[in-house]
Amino acid sequence: MTAGSPDSVKIRFENVWQRFHVVRKRARTLHSALVHLSARRLMQFELEALKGVSFAVPAGETLGIIGRNGSGKSTILKIIARIFPPSAGRVEVNGHVSPLIELGAGFHPELTGRENVVLAGVLLGFTRRQMEGKLDAILAFAGMQEFADTPLRQYSTGMLARLGFAVATEIDPDILLVDEVLAVGDEGFQRKCLERMNSFRRQGKTMVFVSHEMGQVRAVCDRVLLLHDGEVLAEGKPDEVIARYHALLREMGPGAPVRK
Amino acid sequence: MLELFRDTYRYRELIWILAVKELKVRYKRSVLGFFWALLHPLLMMVVLTVVFSSILRFGIEKYPVFLVSGLFPWIFFSQSLLYASESIVTNGPLIKKVYVPKLVFPLAAILANLINFLLSLLPMALILLLLGFPFHTTWVFLPIPLLGLVLFAVGCGFIVSTINVFFHDMHHILQILLTAYFYFCPVIYDLSVVEARFHGLFRWNPLLYVLGGFRSAIYYGDPLPAPAVAVALGGGLLMVAVGYALFRRYQDTFPLYV
Ligand SMILES: Nc1ncnc2c1ncn2[C@@H]1O[C@H](COP(=O)(O)OP(=O)(O)O)[C@@H](O)[C@H]1O
Ligand SMILES: [Mg+2]
Repeated sequence: MTAGSPDSVKIRFENVWQRFHVVRKRARTLHSALVHLSARRLMQFELEALKGVSFAVPAGETLGIIGRNGSGKSTILKIIARIFPPSAGRVEVNGHVSPLIELGAGFHPELTGRENVVLAGVLLGFTRRQMEGKLDAILAFAGMQEFADTPLRQYSTGMLARLGFAVATEIDPDILLVDEVLAVGDEGFQRKCLERMNSFRRQGKTMVFVSHEMGQVRAVCDRVLLLHDGEVLAEGKPDEVIARYHALLREMGPGAPVRK
Repeated sequence: MLELFRDTYRYRELIWILAVKELKVRYKRSVLGFFWALLHPLLMMVVLTVVFSSILRFGIEKYPVFLVSGLFPWIFFSQSLLYASESIVTNGPLIKKVYVPKLVFPLAAILANLINFLLSLLPMALILLLLGFPFHTTWVFLPIPLLGLVLFAVGCGFIVSTINVFFHDMHHILQILLTAYFYFCPVIYDLSVVEARFHGLFRWNPLLYVLGGFRSAIYYGDPLPAPAVAVALGGGLLMVAVGYALFRRYQDTFPLYV
């Protein structure tokens, strides 16, 4: 976000903290507000989702982030995508970032696939005309021409993932963020996505890839970051870090709760 | 403030697309579709005309014209606030996925209602024609109260949309506040029917002057009184400054709460 640093570093996190006020039961209505007014302390606690995370991604690198659920992976991607600023620390992002591709909802459930694609592009600073020019390629890559005029709320999760991935890659960002999305696509589409990610790498683009599929992580990542409870536990070659992750999982046992 | 105008300009295409989307979504699922945009103010006018000129007898000449000259702008204002109040929350999925300057959402909600209002000038003109009411040349002054009303809607829209993120009851409370405020603004009646000792209180209401500007241009055919212009533009800008200051302070945390 700060300019002036060498362009060869695309993403830099320096001692980044993210604090969330997690609410056990949120008082969002007048009724619950009144009921819980006295018990507010009990209803809310602070959670440090990231505890001083530092790393840098040089241009052209694909960084994998692995870790258990709730370890802070998506939080890092959201900060990179400028969705919210960190509570503390320095973040630097140089280049055009793709929208966060993650599982679940598309952009706007009531709008059609076509309308969503245009909206997504305009959100990222493209004009409507530019996006209309890319529409065919996006729908073709997603294999979704048949559903172009169907509202998104009638899409399956896999279909949403297809469209999301197609949009994020067709707009040709400098930095591509992929969050656990490939798992819901069928194998054919997964292969297509991995191919496209590899062609991104060959073009010298930067990527941050979050996945629980270690095979995919090995296939696309140059370097991997292991995150645990908001801290970087290990960083290095995919095979070594993945081994460390598996050791961690063994150590904690299958029944370990999400967070301490 | 400068930043607000700059970002509004920079994201004008996005605001436009979101406003069109808003209108599409609003009318997509209803049979009469977009005609509701025109039908809603007309039906409200019919109901209020029946009540206030046949049953209660205010004795205002050409009451339907008197009424719509204040009612249609009022509908624009109140609907703008209601839609703006929900705008951040309904666009939650979007806000959580990609960086968007948050101000586009309340602005788009208000723009959608502005389009509705401009379209409602057609049925308004139709009413005037049917009643044989003259189109005063003072219609040319209309952009001034309209700009004022837009500024007030934007300023208040920033406030209610911010509060609604943290406190979802805002939307419901707003509906009640607007109903109360509706009767406080001389829309269905003229200030002259209000007891003189209350006039001092009524004069504190900025929308009195703004809505009055519409009425003098359309109904009375009078040029705009100076206070109407001053309040519409000066008060409107002040409202925007206050509303945007609040919005700006909290906008970065919206993705964490929607
Ligand atoms: N918007 C939010 N409000 C409160 N807590 C959040 C929010 N987003 C994430 N968290 C918390 O931060 C922690 C890390 O979440 P996340 O980064 O999504 O983990 P993951 O590694 O599974 O992607 C979790 O404990 C989660 O509960
Ligand atoms: Mg996640």
